[in-house]
Amino acid sequence: MGKLKSMKLLILVTIVMMFVAACGSKDEGKSDDGGAKKDKKDIQVVFIPKMTGNAFFESGNDGAQEMAKKVGFKVKYDGAPEGTVANQVQIINSAVNSGADAIAISSVSSDGLNQALKKALDAGVKVVTWDSDVDPKYRSVYVNQGTPEILGKMLVDMAAEQMKNPNDAKKIAWFYSSPTVPDQNAWVDYANKYIKEKYPKWEVVTTQFGDANEQKSLQVGGSILESYPDIDAIICPDSTALPAMAQAAENKGLKAEDVIITGFASPNSMRQFIENGTIHNHGLWDVKDQGALAVYIAYWLAQGNELKVGESIDVPDMGSVKVEPNSIQGYDYTADDSGIIVLPERIVFTKENTNDYNF
Amino acid sequence: MLKKIPKWNLVLFVIIVLEILVFGMMNPRFWNTSILLNSFNDFVPIAIIGFFLTLVVITGGIDISGVSIIGLSSVVTGLLSQTAGLNIWAAVVCAVLTGGLCGLLNGVLIAYARVQAMVITLGGMLLYSGIAIVLVGLSGVSTYEGFTGFPESFGQMANGEILGLPNAVIIFFILFLIAYILLHRTRFGRYLYLTGINQNTAEYAGINTKRVMMTAYVLSGLSAGVAGVVLTSYLGSARSDYGAEYLMPILTVVVLGGTLITGGKGGVVGTALASILLGFMQIGLQMAGVATQYIGLATGVLLIVSVAFLGINPDFRLNVKRIITHKQNGG
Repeated sequence: MGKLKSMKLLILVTIVMMFVAACGSKDEGKSDDGGAKKDKKDIQVVFIPKMTGNAFFESGNDGAQEMAKKVGFKVKYDGAPEGTVANQVQIINSAVNSGADAIAISSVSSDGLNQALKKALDAGVKVVTWDSDVDPKYRSVYVNQGTPEILGKMLVDMAAEQMKNPNDAKKIAWFYSSPTVPDQNAWVDYANKYIKEKYPKWEVVTTQFGDANEQKSLQVGGSILESYPDIDAIICPDSTALPAMAQAAENKGLKAEDVIITGFASPNSMRQFIENGTIHNHGLWDVKDQGALAVYIAYWLAQGNELKVGESIDVPDMGSVKVEPNSIQGYDYTADDSGIIVLPERIVFTKENTNDYNF
Repeated sequence: MLKKIPKWNLVLFVIIVLEILVFGMMNPRFWNTSILLNSFNDFVPIAIIGFFLTLVVITGGIDISGVSIIGLSSVVTGLLSQTAGLNIWAAVVCAVLTGGLCGLLNGVLIAYARVQAMVITLGGMLLYSGIAIVLVGLSGVSTYEGFTGFPESFGQMANGEILGLPNAVIIFFILFLIAYILLHRTRFGRYLYLTGINQNTAEYAGINTKRVMMTAYVLSGLSAGVAGVVLTSYLGSARSDYGAEYLMPILTVVVLGGTLITGGKGGVVGTALASILLGFMQIGLQMAGVATQYIGLATGVLLIVSVAFLGINPDFRLNVKRIITHKQNGG
């Protein structure tokens, strides 16, 4: 009998709870209407990396958090340890559900997030991408580290400036993450064009991929050195491939004088290789600035500001940045409210300046 | 009437209600019904496999290859429809059947060759994900990006809604019903329990336990195939690495649902409640401001605490009583 009573009590409590919940959802509807006149300080931007625990993205987050503190809004850093499409979709959904005003995301896939981002836009959430873009239809602004022209030229120049006679015949190799990753392929495409024009005697002997996997990249790096012992330069525009390539060269006892290795990776991951002479230089953009700019633009859009391609936005500590049309990245889709902001500067790291940066 | 509902399911139900209440107080948007219903999308593949894994676990077996069958089924869908140009729905059927075939291989080896289920399905897990990667490679698409460009109608399967109910919820209930009827309303279901309680006894009683076990693995494989198709539809692209992160959540929902890992006891109602509980907890914690990377911690605590609670079942109490009385007698 006692058992039955407690059961009844339980059911009663449940029903009461349901009622409370039902009332709650009505209140929620009201507060939603007033959402537009939200205090600026309450604006929440969710900052989403490809994955957590990677030095590059953690640095981006550092920059984002500093910007949020300075200007006075909220940034939530939310990512999963595994950079998969399903995880990013889930994080986008929960950002939308929890009432975030904007998201700034580095996408793991150029089209896998379309459905989730569409839902976010339909719910009135502003979408900004940084580092790695999505279909431009599904975002307002892409905070770009550099157009293919800028970065492709930079890659070739970093290698050429280490050669005594760059106009001689040279054998070079490309090594990055995958044959379909949008950004890196665009850089390499342009770089190959640039090589043909400026250094017509250069020959690209191979293009290899490491799938952004550290172990695989190390193996691939080793096999490049073994298969092409007379290679002059290996260019790795990928933050996993470059340290792995340098490690492979170090394991074989090769120095920067034997084979030129350069590319894009964060200075913290490459400092040891610069200091022990395995490489001379490598490049990157200031990812802290990129993170800061991405969340600021997201915050700016969430205030209800209208984005117009061709106009400029004032960013604290960074001056004014111009919104360029999508076409500078080679997209066909153009609209007044969809554009690209290119980071103002990129950095070449050498022995002299690598200790000045911490990311 | 109430006594017929197993106590554990009631506990799970109460926890879900508490979750709704507590998370709602932390972020009132959690009380928005459409948000709760739409969150089904993010855990429905886990639940689908969980339902049928429950059947396997009841026979005393285990199947961890489902997470790789998701990727394989997704790739088969993409390969057949995008590269081979097959009709998308025909491709879907083939993908689900591929899952069933994988399950059949597991089942034959486990039931008839009597190899340990853990060993076979561990091997299966590696084998099927390997096949998926090879298939992607053969088609000339990079594993990094996978197949895209599915027709809108296919995307609607997971993303659309009927009468205000998101399709994910409907898929959840359809598969739940199939598993429920199979397990609790058919002779096959009773055979599953009997096999799990004592295979030899069941065999002597005239039950073809080998076939029963094999069928359970085939069903588990089929369900993983369905989960792969649902995930492909939801995410709009087919990749071989889908599902890789689902292994622990799937095992969690089955165990948390009250199914004994040693077999013979359990049910799909518990699995269904546990998957809702886990799904709501994920979204609830995120909405309460917890970063996604720390949610695994909460899941782990929940699992350990609940299994500890489950351990305090009548048998356990009886044992404790026996030990105590024994001691008293001895002293």
